[in-house]
Amino acid sequence: MRAVVHNGIGVFAPQGFLDGNAANACLTLDDIHATINLKADMILVSLKKVVFFNRNGLDAFVKMLNKVRAKNHITVGFCDYDNKKYDAIMNFYKGEMSFSLFKTQNIAALFSASFKNQSKTLLVYCDDKSQRASIAIELHDNGHNPVIAQSLEEFKEKSSNPGSYDSIIDNTYLGQMGQNIASRVTGNAIIYTVSSFLDTEISDTFNIAYHNNSLNVGFKLFIFDAYKVISMNIHALNFFSKLASTAAEYNATICFAGLSFEKTPEAFKETMEDAGIMFFEQMDDILQDKELLKELGGSSSVGSKNKRVINKTLVTELPRFIDATISTIEMMTNSKAVKETAQINEIIIPQIEGKIASSVGFYGAIDGMVILVFPVEIAKKACELLIGEKTEDMELILDSLSELVNIVGGKIKMLLADENISVNITLPRTYSDLNDLLDMTDGRKGAQINLAFDNDHFSFFLTR
Amino acid sequence: MITKEKIDNYIEKIPPSPKALKETLTLLNNGELVKAAKVAQTDLALSAYLKSIVNRPIYGFKNSVSDISQIFGILGVTGSQQAVYNYMMSLLSPNQWKLFGLNKSSFHTLQDALVIKWQMILNHLKIESKDLQNAITLLPASIIVSEALFCEHIKDVNLLRSAKALDYNTILMRLCKVDLFDICEQISLKWEMPNEVAKVVQAASGVKPSEDAQMNTLGKWMHLLLFYELSQPMFIEAGLNDFIDFQIDYIEDIYEEFSTLMEVA
Repeated sequence: MRAVVHNGIGVFAPQGFLDGNAANACLTLDDIHATINLKADMILVSLKKVVFFNRNGLDAFVKMLNKVRAKNHITVGFCDYDNKKYDAIMNFYKGEMSFSLFKTQNIAALFSASFKNQSKTLLVYCDDKSQRASIAIELHDNGHNPVIAQSLEEFKEKSSNPGSYDSIIDNTYLGQMGQNIASRVTGNAIIYTVSSFLDTEISDTFNIAYHNNSLNVGFKLFIFDAYKVISMNIHALNFFSKLASTAAEYNATICFAGLSFEKTPEAFKETMEDAGIMFFEQMDDILQDKELLKELGGSSSVGSKNKRVINKTLVTELPRFIDATISTIEMMTNSKAVKETAQINEIIIPQIEGKIASSVGFYGAIDGMVILVFPVEIAKKACELLIGEKTEDMELILDSLSELVNIVGGKIKMLLADENISVNITLPRTYSDLNDLLDMTDGRKGAQINLAFDNDHFSFFLTR
Repeated sequence: MITKEKIDNYIEKIPPSPKALKETLTLLNNGELVKAAKVAQTDLALSAYLKSIVNRPIYGFKNSVSDISQIFGILGVTGSQQAVYNYMMSLLSPNQWKLFGLNKSSFHTLQDALVIKWQMILNHLKIESKDLQNAITLLPASIIVSEALFCEHIKDVNLLRSAKALDYNTILMRLCKVDLFDICEQISLKWEMPNEVAKVVQAASGVKPSEDAQMNTLGKWMHLLLFYELSQPMFIEAGLNDFIDFQIDYIEDIYEEFSTLMEVA
């Protein structure tokens, strides 16, 4: 059994009766190895479709979760349970729980390092005082507004008016949380939250793959929310200096907001400034200053100055990229594709209205980026298989589109592996406004193939 | 990937039940075990199948049984009918499973386990209808159909399922507006199985509750029984645990009774 990863959260979903034998059959050594290698911020086991479990059944998963946690420093646990299942787990593991419990996957997402939606107003209750405080602190650190109910009576009273809260968080338990640095996207800036003492561990807890992916797909402004940093040592200084050098290659900027130098040598600030890092007292000094934001690249995903051209290797593999794309879209739409035109040039999109796009990068033996431009109608059709119904909800369509592009990326990886070319794929990015895409690809030459699916036109663009 | 035409082709290619089997079933239905045994003997493959199943450990006979009339006598009318239906189902199953890690022996193990436990359930519910007893034999057709339709698309399906937790039934429904249990119903029609058989199996999909209260209750028991069996390590390892979605809310009201009956610890 494998975990399905969505928005950085990997979820196992066993079904039926979960005793020791069943759970051990669910997890082969290969499955455990694959889970350890997943690029996820959180690994959970959903109990939604488990009608019966016992301690032995959970133990097999707990062992796997502990291995993943020890190796990747991420949050692990169970989710999607009712009160009865929650009580059973608490009874099984009284006082020895290193994993977390989240009532639903949506609640788990609020604690995830790469959450999308911030500033949620959340009602929090737990009869254990320290848990209550931990939950509230963790949510606050992730950019939410937790409202704590101090007693069961208060919780009942407040939860009787559910419209006042985006979510109600009870029957949730935080075990050892992931040490990954929380990241969130505000417009075209990425904000990382760091706290406490910054030392050599930062290189383990910072998701460098996510950061590099963000650079690759055109993010220009990275802000470290450092209000809660007490101090940093030379290892952290070196880490940030290196990060700044990499960012410079992409013409990106790294800023710190709220970092105090009371317990950190002032000389560190000079070194970091020399590396190109900027310092601001308040986050709003950056985010509310539109001119500054524009100057730093946080108002749009402007094109990289590091424009590389499509090379012979990529052109040689072009048929595989196209096959992967066509077969995936054909599978998703159950329709046949017809190739129309092909050209090597900058991307040309004759009419940008009514179109959306998604991109996925790949790196390894070869590197580059695949961009797919869809008329909204094809995107809707292609995503119908994933969503299960026709929808006009653009957020849902874009979300499913990124899953679709992820599948295309997976297929590309598979086809290239058949040729002994090993690549990894980055997280997909979607564009609801094609001007952002055109900004990002400005000056980049690549191979563009225009295709028709049942007379709907669709473009594939491969670049570096 | 899979189109409605492909499904229609698949159904088209399902052979009707052979004459000897049809006659055997009719005679069994009339309670004429000896005559049915004589007809069954004329189909050598059926005879061999019957001999093989009745001597499996699950039936617990001390001595080997090889005479068909003796086998029908041991199994009784309903048991014999179920055995013949299971044989028909095994004719549909592939020689080599690709999508699921099954083989002839493990598929028969699943069929046997379902039949025996379904009988326990019907005894518990005090239901004696032969047609409803035979309904369980159609349920594994959903697995055979999944194998047949998806085995040529394993890589694509795996990629799709790595991005979204979709079961085969949902994928088929979303692609072709027909699900595995609709195809099972088509098979039952082709094999002239009683209407109740398809009705219970449709309800056992967990996503199409029956308007008939009794059929719906039986659908719940069958759905839960299927997942009880698919939670056995052998079938989890075969990749069957999530071939369809387990509808936990659907079976909620019968779970306690089921767990007592099956002695779930």
